[in-house]
Amino acid sequence: MNYWAVLATTVGIWVLLALSLNIITGEAGQPNIGHAAFFGIGAYTSAVLNTKYGVDFWGALVMALAAGALMGAVLGLISMRLRNDFLAITTIGLNFVTVAIFQTVPYFGGAMGIGGIQPPRIGGLTFGPVELAVLSWLVVALVVILNRHLQRAWFGYALRAIRDDEAAAAAMGIDVRRYKVLAFVIGTGIAGLAGSIYAHFMTFISAGDFGFNISVTILAMVVLGGRGSIPGVLLGGVILGMAPEVFRFISDYRLLVFGSILVLVMRFFPSGLLGQGSRLQELLAGAFRREGAGVRVR
Amino acid sequence: MSVRKREFDLYVEGRYRSCTTGLALSYSLGAESTVFLQQMVNGITIGSLYSLVALGLTMVYGIMRVLDIANAGAYTLGAYLGVLAYARTHSIIIALLAGAGGAAITGYLFQRAIYTPIKKMADPIVPLVASIGLFIVMEDLFRLIAGPYTITFPVHLPLNRLTLGPVVITGTQAVILLISAFLFLLLWILLNKTKIGLAWQATAQDTETAMAMGINTRSVVAFAFILGYIFAALAGILVAIHYNAVFPTMGDIPSYKMLAIVVLGGLGNPLGAVVASIVVGLAEAFVAGYIGSFLPTDAIAFLALIILLLVRPQGLLASGGEVR
Amino acid sequence: MDEKIKKWLLLVSLFTIALLMTACGSGSGNGQSSAAKTIKIGFFAPETGPEAADGTSAYNAAKLAVEQINAGGGINGAKLELVNYDDQLDTKQAVSIAQKLTTKDGVVAVVSGSYSGPTRAAAPIFQQAKMPMISAYAVHPAIPRTGDYIFQLGLSGIVEGAAAAEVAKNELHAKNVAILAIDNDFGHTLVQGFTQRAGQIGLKVQEPNWFHFGDTEFTPVLTKIKNSGADVLFMPAYAAEGSQIIRRIHDMGLKIQPLGTEGLDSTTQFLEVAGKDANGLVIVTDFNRDSKEQVVKDFIKAYKERYGHEPDMVAASTYDAFYVLAEAVRKSGTTPDKIREGIASIKDFQAVSKINGFDGIRQANKPVAVQQVKDGTFRYFGEITDPTIITPPVN
Repeated sequence: MNYWAVLATTVGIWVLLALSLNIITGEAGQPNIGHAAFFGIGAYTSAVLNTKYGVDFWGALVMALAAGALMGAVLGLISMRLRNDFLAITTIGLNFVTVAIFQTVPYFGGAMGIGGIQPPRIGGLTFGPVELAVLSWLVVALVVILNRHLQRAWFGYALRAIRDDEAAAAAMGIDVRRYKVLAFVIGTGIAGLAGSIYAHFMTFISAGDFGFNISVTILAMVVLGGRGSIPGVLLGGVILGMAPEVFRFISDYRLLVFGSILVLVMRFFPSGLLGQGSRLQELLAGAFRREGAGVRVR
Repeated sequence: MSVRKREFDLYVEGRYRSCTTGLALSYSLGAESTVFLQQMVNGITIGSLYSLVALGLTMVYGIMRVLDIANAGAYTLGAYLGVLAYARTHSIIIALLAGAGGAAITGYLFQRAIYTPIKKMADPIVPLVASIGLFIVMEDLFRLIAGPYTITFPVHLPLNRLTLGPVVITGTQAVILLISAFLFLLLWILLNKTKIGLAWQATAQDTETAMAMGINTRSVVAFAFILGYIFAALAGILVAIHYNAVFPTMGDIPSYKMLAIVVLGGLGNPLGAVVASIVVGLAEAFVAGYIGSFLPTDAIAFLALIILLLVRPQGLLASGGEVR
Repeated sequence: MDEKIKKWLLLVSLFTIALLMTACGSGSGNGQSSAAKTIKIGFFAPETGPEAADGTSAYNAAKLAVEQINAGGGINGAKLELVNYDDQLDTKQAVSIAQKLTTKDGVVAVVSGSYSGPTRAAAPIFQQAKMPMISAYAVHPAIPRTGDYIFQLGLSGIVEGAAAAEVAKNELHAKNVAILAIDNDFGHTLVQGFTQRAGQIGLKVQEPNWFHFGDTEFTPVLTKIKNSGADVLFMPAYAAEGSQIIRRIHDMGLKIQPLGTEGLDSTTQFLEVAGKDANGLVIVTDFNRDSKEQVVKDFIKAYKERYGHEPDMVAASTYDAFYVLAEAVRKSGTTPDKIREGIASIKDFQAVSKINGFDGIRQANKPVAVQQVKDGTFRYFGEITDPTIITPPVN
């Protein structure tokens, strides 16, 4: 049971990260290959508050969200100035610089990392793996609901307009600056939240946990699942989040399979498994339509 | 005393040379400026190594607008093929040819089978994720085929240490500088004196106009990938000889550091890539030499990049990059 | 619109369940089938990914140890069975592996052949499950402090650093020591041990220079060190970076005596790359290749025959971890609690390294081997047995 709970928590955190990046990259169309920086900022905020200042998990969680969102606002402002590949590489840079700071500054535990982070508590109940799994998937559910509402609200239309053609969106009177920064703030805030859960789940963190490879994996989840599609990104997060455990039986070839999946999906489903216009999506949508029709007849 | 001693012979390096003119010069220059000059040489050498890899990526980026992480896979592939050929033949020329040949085929295949078909999708993130996948596959294949341990590349370079006044240029530094200079020249001739090279330049600047002018973009794209991968492979062999080491993950750091350099240079501008490489090399040398490692070396390149991009969003030397 | 989303979510959850079942099918193994005559030992190491070389060495040594123990009749008639996992140097995977080992695999004890990060992340889970774990070579001082089931077999970083200071002062007659260390838990712990001891014995030490994992160019920092007037360079580094430091020292014609640590203790990864330039290098480690002990000779010979290259420190330490476990089982019994007692009470046990015993917080107390590179091989240079140096700090 504990094993499954731990796996569910890990996958839940991955899914949160993928969903949060999806708001920035999938919906607003802003490249971000340094998302792990915000994951790390959340985790470190939470860890420092908890171990140095005795703030409990719930307080630290809120602060982690705020810290992630604040740094996201900064990146959002930078994105005003830089576009496409320039922005993409700046986000990579942000990831490296953030990790470097955690790794070097003694306040953040430096090279030794931060240990002894308390697990969450409610009243007398200290969270074990099962409670953490429930918590992380509750947060996933909340984020999905919030994301759905945002997609349907004016905010969602504005983001998609910006993604499809920024100049046209601005001409239509959309405040591009405001919506872009907002997308960054929401996305990175959720990543900060995920970081906080991660820190209190692992109870020990170090800078290496938030490296560039983590950013790449998060991006791969979003792109593999389907940019802009919530079910797609959920699927992407679950597939790649579970891959290390699921593919254990091929032991020595796990990385090979992981890389091949990325190449093949990009080659044959360039908009992702469940992204707009993907063959799989059309196929499944067709099946659903037929089934739906059947229900109506009955 | 608890150390039980058996034998004792200290590490003595008898070949250290210093000439009187050098000493005199160092006094007149002052120790500070001697170190400064020495760090300049160190930084330029590091930068030259970077520029070889960065040029490969620039060739591809200039034409395809793809941030091709898998280019760093060609760097490792070159090193493995090179060391394999060298072990059989003991000829550095054959090693270079083997690496270049293998990389050229790989580059061509990747371009035809993966990048060109995907590139029809507008979003540049798709080929980027595909290239990350290719890179992971390549690295893991190297590990599975050649094993996880480091293989040595024992080529003895013919040059001795040069002492120019107070500044020492080691044999490997000299070889790197010479070979880089030779390869830059070769690339310059290729791009400026051959038909396909001029076509590359035209296409890199403006694909549509180039097509309208009747340039066969298909062959130019193939040329860019083949040349870009060959450059990566040659750099891989040179670096492997320089460090006497070939190992599966040797492409890890180049894979992302080169992105920073290529962007610094203005995405798709070969001269810019060389300048940016030298700038990053110098920055790393001076930071390591004077400030100490306040940040990991990788972060230095990216910090330079972020600062520069905020001041000059189009990169060090403006070019065909997408500029607002 | 909403209907569609619900269907998608249903689909995704179905898919998830399918995946979970696959994972279950592959992972559940035969947890209950452990016959009375097999003792299952869990093991994890970074066998693929960025540190696949060390992970492979550790796994190779683990397989060799288990085979040899079984070939020698097992332990009181019972055979050992290895339950192996690859953590890819990922702390998250280490946590999943630890959960699997403690709840599904039916193992009675675990050996970590991994680095500090994964080992430290997994340790609390083993502690909570009351399952003994021996960390073969991870140096982070927090690992054994997790609790009474967690043991650290490798040299304490503090001890190794202190021993290096002793060697620098008394054997290398250092007047002025420069430090070039890797900026991670390994480097920091060793530098701390070194500077503390140096302060006690009156050895002049400069401010440390740090480099980072994966760095390849050391000419700039060595130029700085060259001008600092140092005569000995203490360099806690791993093989990849360490070999390049040694090569550059030689290239630049630096007149400085390098003093390395167990991170360089590898033939394939360090000595072959550094080549002739390594001659004269002195290192502190826990693997004495010139030992007269039969177990050391046998280990080196068997490892070479089986895998075609010299064993390294990582392999030796992992091998030792299994022999310590086997000894504990032999003495005390096969349940996790008995094994824990057995490990804790080990005294003067000769494996590849000599283990004097574990202290109150379960750190191994063992002599420090001092080796020097001669003609491309590590040779005996000395051994530090002074209890005031080799006793790990308990705070």
